[in-house]
Amino acid sequence: MSASEPSPGPLTALDLRGGVRADRRTFIRLAAWSGAGLAVGHCGVRALWAQGPAQRPVYAMILVDYNRCTGCRTCETACAQFNHPVTVDGEELRGLGNPYLSNIRVHAFNPDADVPVVCVMCRDNPCVAACPVEPDAEGRRALYRDPELLTVRNDPSRCIACGACAEACRTQRVGAIIPNRETNRPERMCTLCGGDPQCVALCPYGALSYIKGGLDGRHYALPPERIAVELIARWYGPTQGGDVR
Amino acid sequence: MSRLPGYWGSVLEVDLSTGRTGRREIPAADYEQFIGGRGLGMKLLWDLLPEPGADPLGPDNPLLFMPGPFAGFPLPSASRTCVVTKSPITAPVASPHRHASTVSYSNMGGFIGPEIRFAGYDGILVRGRAAAPVYLYVDDDRVEIRDAGKYWGMGTDAFDRAFTAALGDRRFRTCYIGPAGENLVPYASVINTAARAAGRAGTGCVMGAKNLKAVAVRGSRQPDVAAHKRFLEALDKARAGFHGTPGTENWRRYGTGSALVASSDNGTQAVRNFREGTFEHIERIGGLAARRAVWQRDFACYACPLACKKAGRVADGPYPGLVHDGPEYETGTMLGANLLIGDLGGVQRAIRHADDLGLDIISVGGVIGFLMEAYERGCIDRDALDGLDLAWGNVDATVELLHRIAHREGVGDAAARGVRHLAGRMGRETAKFAIHSKGHGFAAWNVHVQPGYGVSYATSNRGACHLNGFTPDRQNGTALVDSVGVCLFARGGYAAGLVEQVLESISGRGWVDSDYVAAGERVFNLEKCFNYREGFRRADDSIPDRFFEEPLTMGPRKGAVVARDAWDRLMAEYYAKRDWDPATTRPADAKLQALGLEFARAKLPA
Repeated sequence: MSASEPSPGPLTALDLRGGVRADRRTFIRLAAWSGAGLAVGHCGVRALWAQGPAQRPVYAMILVDYNRCTGCRTCETACAQFNHPVTVDGEELRGLGNPYLSNIRVHAFNPDADVPVVCVMCRDNPCVAACPVEPDAEGRRALYRDPELLTVRNDPSRCIACGACAEACRTQRVGAIIPNRETNRPERMCTLCGGDPQCVALCPYGALSYIKGGLDGRHYALPPERIAVELIARWYGPTQGGDVR
Repeated sequence: MSRLPGYWGSVLEVDLSTGRTGRREIPAADYEQFIGGRGLGMKLLWDLLPEPGADPLGPDNPLLFMPGPFAGFPLPSASRTCVVTKSPITAPVASPHRHASTVSYSNMGGFIGPEIRFAGYDGILVRGRAAAPVYLYVDDDRVEIRDAGKYWGMGTDAFDRAFTAALGDRRFRTCYIGPAGENLVPYASVINTAARAAGRAGTGCVMGAKNLKAVAVRGSRQPDVAAHKRFLEALDKARAGFHGTPGTENWRRYGTGSALVASSDNGTQAVRNFREGTFEHIERIGGLAARRAVWQRDFACYACPLACKKAGRVADGPYPGLVHDGPEYETGTMLGANLLIGDLGGVQRAIRHADDLGLDIISVGGVIGFLMEAYERGCIDRDALDGLDLAWGNVDATVELLHRIAHREGVGDAAARGVRHLAGRMGRETAKFAIHSKGHGFAAWNVHVQPGYGVSYATSNRGACHLNGFTPDRQNGTALVDSVGVCLFARGGYAAGLVEQVLESISGRGWVDSDYVAAGERVFNLEKCFNYREGFRRADDSIPDRFFEEPLTMGPRKGAVVARDAWDRLMAEYYAKRDWDPATTRPADAKLQALGLEFARAKLPA
């Protein structure tokens, strides 16, 4: 189990957005309440929810510290290795890490800025809301939230491959969902690797954190192009690439 | 034909003259013998140029983009792409062949090597010449030669942005040339991500000669491996080997920039056109200064934990707001210390301009250093320089000259031909400070204090090269690393024997130690055979007289000079160790036989 602390002073989409301070305050208050300062980690959150009337699933997400990301894409390989295992001589093993299959995708920009994009677990999930498939007896559409981890999942047996979920994510949030090239069914939804995200574990630069509880990913959900513009302005100032101002 | 695991079994072959595209099968034996990258590229070059004297700028000269067998797997720092071709910059002292030149290889980091493998190829072979500017578009099996007319003439930075936007997906990985390559400057580079370069040995010039502005690749596949579980074990070991080590920490903090001050302190830096080994103002442009004033961010190549790439921004001075990578050791020395430019903003200005034009910074820094010295000595006057006041340390004149070289305007046209050409035009006395071997300029490591670098420059198969190695063993090792595709900076991160283990698990072939070393030696000797066949002999393995006749006059290693007898001994030892004839440098028949290079031996003149 690797529930990391948020790195000191991460530069996040929340900061970039500038106008959503309320949620940041909520976040900090929650953190303080959990009695561990910054540690909105495993233990803190457990303690928090233990006070509630019943055990409820906890929203969790991958948080990116853009100041630490170097664009190496090790996260992509780690994700693909875990989520696309292979069976060799009857034994299930991690795959070879084809980044095309990865649920986290690093977008590179010029001037240099790298923006990893991964499902941010929006609580209001416009992707699920966009799914036109009639809910079943349990209230599930073809796209639904996993009851344990609250990750977004697709039921291929009911999916009609209309692409509405990917479109909703792309136009309203980060564009994490990508339709399969052949089937058009939604792919690349973060699985949190069952609770131990491998991108977080293997990032050589500590740029990714696994944050449980308190956050609503919706507030981090900016398209990579917009994040890049602001990062570039912050790091390199008012400049047109290499041109002298 | 049985396919070796870990490889696709073919390279993409594109003929720009006919527009035909397809796959060229690679025999399993070639993978086993030459591995990939630089080695397999050399084997293809040999096969495709059966006779000596091919025109490097002609349609017959193949241009190869070669990742190694590690590319496309999550192995740390193993994404190098070696560009292999016949050199447009080197030439022997004497040869019966009109276009005689050496092999050319130059590798670059970034992401395009793995992407070539993801697209389903072990490399890309470009032949022929397009009638008008084109770019190559590769999306898995979809391969197209597309019009690049509107991009011709664009600098690499603006092109990088425009091209990515036009491709419409950032998953495309690209490499391209700037105006220097288009205008056939013999030391033009191939650039990717607007800053990474296959800089040396004129690869960008050959690309320009083919009217090929760029290559764009996107892929969705991945090769398999022979032994999955063993591969994962080796992968985990490799990942762990980089974790938290002082080496990793230093690469991240300073990249090669840490060597700027250290090398100057040791008297091993190229300063004042290699006249000195120490630069008095090095602290102003060194790693610490750059970290403080310029470097904003660290970036890494595919799956690399080192992040040695430093994106910078000049805050103040004459060039505020200038954004570009650097300085690294080579760029900061060749466009800094070597020209006595001790102003970080000025160095950045020059580096940015050279990358944008697609010029090899090492070569062009040597050319400008040579001209500055010639100007100081009165061997060339201001009129002949088209009015440029090429005084030591003059940033504006340097930037202007870079521009004229890339566009081959006035004096820039002569300067574009390199230091050997310039010295030939200016007269004998200038040859002493025309710093090249076989026509290829020296890199940023000076020779007086470390004659080993002289050996590295004199015996490198692409003409002067600092990465080549001081000894045959080291050179063979480098050839191997370049063939596997591991970054030379990361060589130390792989524990002893680990590269072999990985290779074994990928290809399923046993790689005992001796076999592995032999492959590097095989690659090096095939390159040598190519050069020998072109007419390169003992007299071509030389370094300029400067290093024997002009001791350093300043710095902690003042007085250092290379003794001729010691040099002769070094070279004699070298040829003995190589089992090459010390009079002609021809590899011994027995050596070639032992390395499985019988096919090359048969093509060598007696």
